[in-house]
Amino acid sequence: MPIPVRTMIFLIIMSGLPALAIAQSSTLTGASRSMNPAISVNGLIRGQASRDNPTADLNGFKLDGMEVQFTSVVDPFWKANFNIGMHPAHSHDGEDDAHAEGMVVHVEEGYIDGQSLPGGLGLRIGKFALPFGKHAPLHMHQFPFADAPVAIASFLGDHILSDTGAMGTVTVPVPWYADIRLYGVSGEAKPFDVHNKNLAGGGRLTNLWDVSEDATVELSGSYLHGPDARHPGESMKVDMYGADLTWKWVSSARTLGPALHLTVEALLPDYEEGEGDPWGWYALAQYRFHRNWWAGGGVGQADAGLDHHEEAPGHEDHDHGLEGDLREYKVNITFAPSEFSALRAEMVYYQDKVTMEDDLRFIVQANFTIGSHPAHLY
Amino acid sequence: MLNIAALLVLIMTVTMSGQALAKVKVVATLADLGWIAEQVGAEDVEVEFLCQGHRDPHFLPAKPSLTRKLKKADLLVYNGLELEIGWLPLLLDAARNPRIRPGQQGELNCSMALGPGEILEVPVGEVDRSQGDIHPLGNPHYLLDPRKGIAVGHLMAERLARIDPEAGDRYRNRAENLAREIEARIEDWEARVDSLAVKKVIVYHQQWEYLVDWLGLDVLGVIENRPGISPAPRHVEGLVELGRQQGPVLVIAATWDHVEAANRVAEKTGSVLAVLPASTLAMEEATGYLAMFEVICGKLEVAAGEGP
Repeated sequence: MPIPVRTMIFLIIMSGLPALAIAQSSTLTGASRSMNPAISVNGLIRGQASRDNPTADLNGFKLDGMEVQFTSVVDPFWKANFNIGMHPAHSHDGEDDAHAEGMVVHVEEGYIDGQSLPGGLGLRIGKFALPFGKHAPLHMHQFPFADAPVAIASFLGDHILSDTGAMGTVTVPVPWYADIRLYGVSGEAKPFDVHNKNLAGGGRLTNLWDVSEDATVELSGSYLHGPDARHPGESMKVDMYGADLTWKWVSSARTLGPALHLTVEALLPDYEEGEGDPWGWYALAQYRFHRNWWAGGGVGQADAGLDHHEEAPGHEDHDHGLEGDLREYKVNITFAPSEFSALRAEMVYYQDKVTMEDDLRFIVQANFTIGSHPAHLY
Repeated sequence: MLNIAALLVLIMTVTMSGQALAKVKVVATLADLGWIAEQVGAEDVEVEFLCQGHRDPHFLPAKPSLTRKLKKADLLVYNGLELEIGWLPLLLDAARNPRIRPGQQGELNCSMALGPGEILEVPVGEVDRSQGDIHPLGNPHYLLDPRKGIAVGHLMAERLARIDPEAGDRYRNRAENLAREIEARIEDWEARVDSLAVKKVIVYHQQWEYLVDWLGLDVLGVIENRPGISPAPRHVEGLVELGRQQGPVLVIAATWDHVEAANRVAEKTGSVLAVLPASTLAMEEATGYLAMFEVICGKLEVAAGEGP
């Protein structure tokens, strides 16, 4: 129902009065800005051409995504982080493919972190990235390739896996670095049935060893459980198991010197009701061969584990048209002239072993950051 | 009854002696600060540091294992002026140690030791990243002036005295001794560099400003003219031309810099490249903060053709 113009003007004036009161009791230049949060914006712009698929969605230029982030200390007890994402509408955003137009805006993360809990415990409350594996918690601008691996996109979603609830973290007192994170969430993320009132939950055990001053090895396991999105309203459950192994080497001899990252991750979904033995995996390598240049390569698979020509329920709406056993092979090269911008050229070959359909895609992507963006986790 | 009283006395004695023996756990972000903390704290402290001396402190990978050091720290000493901004906030959050959170007694920004006007290259006017990855609060590499090291030593002593009041005088005395030791060496270092025939330098990165300011050297130009950004060939050619016109010059780079670019400038200007330790432990011979300046002076002498 449209709001009358006079009512609108009245509301605008009234909403400004509290700010006026604050300004009058503040500094000569207005309300103090010294407590403003750090604000940053990431932008991703993509150009893409598909050899085998003529649809407009896979050909041409588009704004791939934008993220606005606010970070600040709240008070002596909490620190807050908000991340608002905008990306092109997909079918899983609640629209049919044919009607998915424009951009979808959603809160990717919005949480507070406890700062002074006893025993070094960590507590996060709000909407946050679920710590499942290495790739699912990443924001799009952190992706090592233009798209998420098919295993992640198929089973956990092609954007950040985030949900609303609470998470506790405790460091394990062992000779290497280890922590355990346990969470309970409402079940809004892609694997979960958003209409089911049952909570979802999970955890992750992270182990990391310094094998030298320059290299680390991480071996971690993840688990999540919740109402299965493939059977809305039927109270079916899904359990997801994951394991990942990462080797990172960053030469200390030179500023932005050679670096090599290797990651292997496997996912094993276990649906309460469903046929087949679905699973997925990927392996990625990234090598910095010059201070501004990275080269990458990756392979992966998302297998519904069904007999041939039997469609996997719930997989009909993902981005790559996965029906049974999708393989991916990708290479890219990235030029990053500073910490705040990068240009990437990528070639990806997809092949579905069930339908024997394949596709070769060429992608160029620009990634930029403005403002005060917090550093990324190791 | 007597047994209970004896037990209580025993417990109190053990507890109090344990407190007296407990050392203050200091974590320094940089090897320089770790070395100064060891001199000021001596047997009253346990010191660890996060960034190894041979690594560029702008780009330390924030490994979770480093949070294990921060988790048990009573005092965090860091350079400040946003030198560690790319990794220290992450590690602090992950460590979840309330003793060293910003504003607490266990958090010490060592740039607070610098007096008014002592911070060099504080940007004036509009600042944006077209100027590279600049430090909006000013050049953070003040520890390359040993006089600033003296001030940091006194600052650390005062903070340690607040955390551990019983040893307060010991901290202050050690800081005084350290100051006298550095001052005695400063005269020698200044005299050695003052006698060099070559006083003009081209530096790779803007991290030697405090050193050249102290030693009275003259910076002709910076190879990496926009911090953190690879220099454009046209800029380098201009610098080479300037070096040829104004020569002789010394070309200075840190061990972690892209020495090949600095070497090309040195070759084209007919000068010598001096690769210097920009931190304690950046080179094998730079075993401490004082040893680092000894190595710097020695390498400048060699580059100027006046060393052994």
